[in-house]
Amino acid sequence: MSHRDSRSRRFLRLFLTGNQARLGVAIVITFFVTALFIATTGWAFLPYDPIRQNVGPVLAPPSLQHLFGTDNLGRDVFSRVVFATPNDLMVSCIVIGSSFMVGIFLGCIAGYWGGILDEVLMRSTDVIFAIPALILAMSIAIILGPGLIHMMYALMIIWWPPYARLARGEALKISQRNFIEAAKTSGISTLTVLRSHIIPNILTPLLAYATLDIGTVVIVYAGLSYLGLSVQPPTPDWGAMVNAYQDYLVSAPWLPLFPAFIIAVVVVGFSLLGNGLRDAVESHSIS
Amino acid sequence: MNFVTFVLRRLGLAVFVLLGVTVITFTLSHLVSSNPLVAWLGRASGNSQLAAEYVQKYHLNDPLYVQFGYYLNGLLHGDLGFSVFKGEPVSQAMVQTLPFTLQIAFFAILFTLAIGIPLGVMSAKYHHTAVDYGITGFYLAGIASPYFLLALFLLIVFTYTLRLLPSGGALSPGIPAPNPITNFQLIDSLIEGRWSTFLDGLVHLIMPSLALALGIFGYITRVLRASILDVLHANYIRTARAKGVDENTLFFKHALRNASISVVTLASIVVTWLVTGTLFVETIFAYPGIGQYAVQALSNLDYPSLLAITLVFAVIIVLSNLAADILYAVVDPEIRLR
Repeated sequence: MSHRDSRSRRFLRLFLTGNQARLGVAIVITFFVTALFIATTGWAFLPYDPIRQNVGPVLAPPSLQHLFGTDNLGRDVFSRVVFATPNDLMVSCIVIGSSFMVGIFLGCIAGYWGGILDEVLMRSTDVIFAIPALILAMSIAIILGPGLIHMMYALMIIWWPPYARLARGEALKISQRNFIEAAKTSGISTLTVLRSHIIPNILTPLLAYATLDIGTVVIVYAGLSYLGLSVQPPTPDWGAMVNAYQDYLVSAPWLPLFPAFIIAVVVVGFSLLGNGLRDAVESHSIS
Repeated sequence: MNFVTFVLRRLGLAVFVLLGVTVITFTLSHLVSSNPLVAWLGRASGNSQLAAEYVQKYHLNDPLYVQFGYYLNGLLHGDLGFSVFKGEPVSQAMVQTLPFTLQIAFFAILFTLAIGIPLGVMSAKYHHTAVDYGITGFYLAGIASPYFLLALFLLIVFTYTLRLLPSGGALSPGIPAPNPITNFQLIDSLIEGRWSTFLDGLVHLIMPSLALALGIFGYITRVLRASILDVLHANYIRTARAKGVDENTLFFKHALRNASISVVTLASIVVTWLVTGTLFVETIFAYPGIGQYAVQALSNLDYPSLLAITLVFAVIIVLSNLAADILYAVVDPEIRLR
């Protein structure tokens, strides 16, 4: 246990030495804390009600009263942007979480048993890869109708293939190792082999990939929201806000830029975190 | 495996994948509503005469696999369905919009390479210096920015602040479009010898393609930097250095040339994001391509158009993957053995 403990501590030290990883951690923690805080307290601690109109003048530039200015209906843009945080947290975490689990399940089956199952899985992922995620999600979204939960379902349906591929590759690599052969011949059940040898060994690369991938979900979800497929007005959402505010690009350019910029910051945060994690995993496994 | 077998195998896989995509679009068309007529006709499905015509045309009373057969047969004959919203066959709308998108894509790829390659080279040459960190920050910002942010940002800078570029459209108002010969506006204006139209079209292409390139170049920069640094540690570079080859020749002739092969593997990701980006960029810059068509189809619940666009995008992606695979096998013979 103590050996394992020092290993994980060394890993953490490796991970946190980079300034980039530290910045990523800071952004991601801020995002998580804000989202959870809003999800539990609502707008009680925000400066203004994000939906109420005329809390200030119309199209006011950023000021101390209104950090991100006010919109065409006199709503406080800062409150609206912050209030929309839980949407992205929920969508990204649930989509990644479900893809992760589906990926491990299918990947293990395909990688461990191989054969026709493997062939079927690989070819179906080939097909799904040929259609851009956003376009496929859009087509499914029309069937389900607009809404936050529906967009989440659409993304969950299409997001798992890279995870299944990654898990399959790793499972295949490990099942050819001698200790798996030994476990099999000594009569340990398949389920136990999978649970105690294969799955723990494929978790790390999958987790590193998942962290990098959260940003992609945020971007694609923002795109769907921008196209009007997610939350309906007046409830604020980042992508939808950019779309609604881009008409004021000449008179109030900050209006669409603030929500769009926040999306970019969150995505940068996750990719810095993911890069740091990946580098740490690589140098950790080398050392 | 020899080269011909390799190409044939990839070709077979491409055909299989496209067949799979048609299964998906066919399934989707049946999931839109329990009544597939709604998918094909949308709001016009109440029109009984039109409905009867469609039941006959798409053999909606036959079993599903027969319907799929007719659907596939239609696709092979260029029948992508009829857009009630546009009032014309989808294939016709496609012939009009696709060239515009290909024009954007051409310049976007040009910009992507023109920005991505030099930055990747510089980032590797000056790795772990301020230059490298600056470039890393720049490409991370590009990759992380949604396309609408990049497009709006360019609009603010080049149109509303510097007043250098037009805010959108394919041509300035008052300039008549050239006669559609190839449907590629730039080529058509050249054929007719209308230089001012050609230049005007070119000016309108700068911002949409630049917006796409700014979101994509980072993938190239990142991979190029990593593979140049990889190659620089290879044994043959050490040997060359020991033999007294000077550092610049080493870097540009040996390392860069070998590392640039890795850029070919990015074709898939680049084309996928390019295609996705056209939806936002063409909508914001009012550019009459397939991306804008897709967004219009979406807001008008024009399902035949949307499914056809999904299919066309898949064809573009599969073909570019195929091209990249073959190109990769040409430059790196080792790959054919796998």
